[in-house]
Amino acid sequence: MRIRRANFVSYRMLSSFFLLLVAFLGHPATVWPQQKSVKDESLVLPGEVGRSGGRLVVSLRGEPKTLNPLIAADSRSREVIGVMQADLVHINRATQLSEPALAKSWKLSADGLEYTIVLRKGLKFSDGQALDADDVVFTFRIYLDENVHAPQRDLLIVGGKPIVVGKVDAQTVVFQLAKPYGAGERLFDGLAILPRHLLEKPYQEGRLGQIGTLATAANQWAGLGPFRMKEYVAGQRLLLERNPYYWKTDMRGNRLPYLDELVFLFVPNADAQVLKFQSGETDVISQLGAENFSVLSRQQKGYTMTDAGPGLEYNFLFFNLNDAGEKSSLEMRPKQKWFRQVKFRQAVSAAVDREAIVRLVYQERGSAIWGLVAPGNHRWGNEKLAHSPRSLDRARTFLKEAGFSWSNGPAGESTLQDSYGQPVEFSILTSSSNADRAKMAALIQDDLKQLGMRVQVVPLEFRSLLDRVTQTKEYDACLMGIVSFDADPNSDINVWLSSGGTHLWNPSQAHPATPWEAEIDRLIEEQMSARTFEQRKKLYDRAQEILAENQPMIFLASPDILVGSKNSVGNFHPAVLEPYVLWNVEQLYLKSLPAIGTR
Amino acid sequence: MRSRRTFTKWLVVLGALHTIVVCAGFFAPYDPIEQDRKNPYLPPMQLHLMDLQGHVHLRPFAYVLKLREGTFDQYEQDTSQPVVVKFFKSGAGYRLLGFLPSRKHLFGSEETRICLLGTDAYGRDQFSRLLYGGQISLLAGILGAGCTLFIGLFVGSVAGYFGGWRDDVLMRVAELFLALPWLYLLFALRAFLSLSVSPLKAFFLIVVVIGGVGWARPARLVRGVVLSAKERDFVRAARGFGATDGYLLRRHILPETSSVLLTQAAILVPQYVLAEMTLSFLGLGIPEPVPSWGNLLSNLQQYSVLVSYWWMYLPALAMVPFFLGYLGLASSLQERGEAYKIERRGPGSLT
Amino acid sequence: MRFFLRRLRHALFLLLGVSILAFLFTTLAPGNYFDEMRLNPQIAPETVAALRAQYQLDRPLPLRYASWMNSVVHGRMGFSFAYNTPVAPLLFARARYTLLLTVTATLIAWGIALPLGVWSAERFGRWPDRLLSWGTAALLVIPDLALALGLLVLAVRTGRFPTGGMTSLEFERLSLGGKLCDLAWHMTLPVVALVLSALPLLLRHVRAAVVGVLDAPFMLAARGHGIPRRTLLYRYALRAAANPLISLFGFSIGALLSGSLLVEVVMSWPGLGPLLLESILSRDLYVVIGGVLLSTFFLVCGNFLADIFLYWADPRIRTESGAR
Repeated sequence: MRIRRANFVSYRMLSSFFLLLVAFLGHPATVWPQQKSVKDESLVLPGEVGRSGGRLVVSLRGEPKTLNPLIAADSRSREVIGVMQADLVHINRATQLSEPALAKSWKLSADGLEYTIVLRKGLKFSDGQALDADDVVFTFRIYLDENVHAPQRDLLIVGGKPIVVGKVDAQTVVFQLAKPYGAGERLFDGLAILPRHLLEKPYQEGRLGQIGTLATAANQWAGLGPFRMKEYVAGQRLLLERNPYYWKTDMRGNRLPYLDELVFLFVPNADAQVLKFQSGETDVISQLGAENFSVLSRQQKGYTMTDAGPGLEYNFLFFNLNDAGEKSSLEMRPKQKWFRQVKFRQAVSAAVDREAIVRLVYQERGSAIWGLVAPGNHRWGNEKLAHSPRSLDRARTFLKEAGFSWSNGPAGESTLQDSYGQPVEFSILTSSSNADRAKMAALIQDDLKQLGMRVQVVPLEFRSLLDRVTQTKEYDACLMGIVSFDADPNSDINVWLSSGGTHLWNPSQAHPATPWEAEIDRLIEEQMSARTFEQRKKLYDRAQEILAENQPMIFLASPDILVGSKNSVGNFHPAVLEPYVLWNVEQLYLKSLPAIGTR
Repeated sequence: MRSRRTFTKWLVVLGALHTIVVCAGFFAPYDPIEQDRKNPYLPPMQLHLMDLQGHVHLRPFAYVLKLREGTFDQYEQDTSQPVVVKFFKSGAGYRLLGFLPSRKHLFGSEETRICLLGTDAYGRDQFSRLLYGGQISLLAGILGAGCTLFIGLFVGSVAGYFGGWRDDVLMRVAELFLALPWLYLLFALRAFLSLSVSPLKAFFLIVVVIGGVGWARPARLVRGVVLSAKERDFVRAARGFGATDGYLLRRHILPETSSVLLTQAAILVPQYVLAEMTLSFLGLGIPEPVPSWGNLLSNLQQYSVLVSYWWMYLPALAMVPFFLGYLGLASSLQERGEAYKIERRGPGSLT
Repeated sequence: MRFFLRRLRHALFLLLGVSILAFLFTTLAPGNYFDEMRLNPQIAPETVAALRAQYQLDRPLPLRYASWMNSVVHGRMGFSFAYNTPVAPLLFARARYTLLLTVTATLIAWGIALPLGVWSAERFGRWPDRLLSWGTAALLVIPDLALALGLLVLAVRTGRFPTGGMTSLEFERLSLGGKLCDLAWHMTLPVVALVLSALPLLLRHVRAAVVGVLDAPFMLAARGHGIPRRTLLYRYALRAAANPLISLFGFSIGALLSGSLLVEVVMSWPGLGPLLLESILSRDLYVVIGGVLLSTFFLVCGNFLADIFLYWADPRIRTESGAR
């Protein structure tokens, strides 16, 4: 009798306990990795779980000018904006592949002309306001508005026509393209989604350019990034604090970011960055030159220096191939005759000592390149391109075939002269503020001296240089470098296309000047709309081959990405795409929090 | 007089230093633009008289420097390879004083390059670059100072002698010159010049511009001297005898300014050599591969060079005797001027 | 009175002339602010051209000058392309920090130069004076750039001084006394660099001026009267030698805003220097013109003050200008 009652009681207790257990397991704050409740969908990041708290100090070379993505034209502003804003689809800097960000998922229609993007639920801006499809539509409307002159506008013109954005429901947005876009959803990387509740009124009043300045009060600005504005001290630093509504969590369900505060210290130049890092005032350092890297690597007290491998920067020498027709001066005409001969350019390319450049300029922390696709770009390089070593004999053969000859001067030196007997002399422009490229120019000057060419290196201040190269077109040769901001070929499209502004040897052409440039134009346009990676790669490989055959740009070297961090910084995984160190800032944490007041 | 002795002493010292620089071809062992890409940032070679066994040699010798394993720029002496220094050795050709071809150098060596002050980023011998660089920098300083003093003399004497509205206008123009953003003008000038102008010529043009700008202060000094000299008894007397303005200026007043001019010259030359260094800092200096003192020291702007390669400081030390020489000359000239002072000078004349 | 009015008129003409010339020069240099965007592969040339038109960079020069004058009168002094704000508040905020540094450095430099110069002049020709002369000559030779860099390296090596900046991260949370201490600590190295670069010239001039006066007959007479040495030196000699020193002081005031550019840039001091340098390099025209005008204003003020002091202090000037 007693036993049966006990059984009955324990059965009830067991079942209620079971119910409680189920309820407990259903509670979002459990240890098991699972999504939060249906109202709040966040992105779970794989990787090491860190601890919450602490402040990271980063130095910035120069000052940001604004927090508003619509007017940010300089790289410091973009660096700061990058940690305060978020995009629909993001390119993972480590894998170089696209990932869902604010968008939970996306679907491409069969004809490749329509993207349907589904947003996560429960997204909030950093001031607590909810995000929905209206914000997305509004954002793209401003980007595309011709009167706003947003720099993002040109990115959203595909196939000659701007993208059309439409709202389907509160969580779904549809984008319509005029032509299929080969790079696909990578288009959306970096396009921050802006808060409609803060920008709508200024937009209607036409004052969009005046908001989002650094002096804005912290509660007047909002974004979807891991950090939000806390304090700005003019000329010295920018203090950011954690965004409590951030939509990413780690594997254990802790809301990211780990850090309480992120501080950007403004320093005047790279050497000041090194000083601050060495004295312990900053926690991470990136964009280091090879020499500073060696200095820091000598005594690694409390910090570790890392060589993250080859990056996406390519440095090159190019000649003035503009056809100015009657307008060209008398001096330029014979020089351009030399520059236009393919064999002349190939001779220069054969004479350049790339190995010395990598050794003396980058201290072996770099690689020689013969094409536009730098070694840091794993997927798109053409492996079949020849990497011919330096050979002065081959260079001389090229020059002889092009009709050049050598004459011996009175002091024993030989001078190169063309078929009319005119000695070959020209100047190479370089930016006076970039010490690495100045060094490369000096090395090339000496290399070409061995061929009998008299080369002068002319350092010009950067804006004067740009003016000469892109506007007045009065120069002989120039040495420049470009950093691709994405591994995808479309990021360099203005270099490839003959109508592009960065097609530096002959920019912004109305029609392609040479048959091979026309061919490259055709290949690039085709790969822009091609649907599969294999198709695009084949077309892109062929474009690279044509570039190598004609050598309008003589590629020199590409530096490695050199960074450093204090040992107390966890989850430090530098990438070779910008931003090298802060791309995963939401996952960075401090392994041991410093005692209060020591800094 | 003691001041005359010091003056001669400084003159002799400066003369000796300048001779070394002018005959740089002889004193420098190598061509300053010759690169040696296998030996960047070589530290200075130590000359020894005593070898490891304790024997003393009459001829100094050095050891070949080899790269330490695993490093990029750390060298150590290879004591198995001593290299003897030969004097009056024949080497690369050069032109003494610009026209005498010669091949003799003060010292050199057969097997390897003796780099007394080490090498730079491209492996070029710093000692040779220092000597050849002195030619360019000192010439720039002297040219700039000459320009400034010429304009200053003209403006100052006109302002001081004629006075009145000419004085007002010229002094206001002087203030204007002091206030303008010359940095901008220099950038503009540099960018404007046609690229076919050789960079060396472009540099001298810039030097002339600086010289043409800094006349304000010497002009004021000259004006002060002329103002006071104008009222002196002997000038009044000469005017009373019917001397013309031109005669007065030439024979009586301008000679009074000589001490001020000389003193200013001795101060300005080192200042303009330093200005050339600042220009190099801003990227407006002598371009590669021609050496100049500004070039040599502008490497030090980079923090990595500042802390890793101490021998890059040495060119600064080598400049010190030149500057001290000029300043010593200037102060001995000033002392001479003061020692011969008989009358009190007028107000404002020291400004 | 007429003297002052004339000087005032001259000063105004000078400011106007400088503003016109500065406008001309800034347009002479090729390139403009939006050139950097041209190299950005993401931005099309049409956008750049539209921005240029929006900021009225294509209008003719006299029209731009007129509209800039208008904005000066309204207290805005033009518009900065980079910061997207009016120029005047930007400049004034930074000028405050520069003045903090330069006023301190000037006061310290003069405070050292006057007594030291007088002391050295008194011992003219003897070895303490010679030692001082050599020391100042050595300092004169070192460019202030090298000085600033050397001090920075010292800061890193010893770790006792901050490597740049004006305030620490915790500045806002400190008490008033703590804030002053923090500021002073950050100011030490830049002020030392400025004082060391200004001192040699000041010392030489003070010494030369006092030496010129010490041999005068009236000094001999005063000594004969038995006036004590210190009074002799400071009340008699220094007063008589004041003429060139006042002009020099005027120059010092004039250089308050512009003399510290290099030191500020090297030591990351958030003053006018780094702002102007960056604006020059990025062609932010109106910031440059505003900065130049501000510096000229100080220069003019300095000269003006020097002339007033000279008029008041030196009776010889008064008689001479009266006789003119």
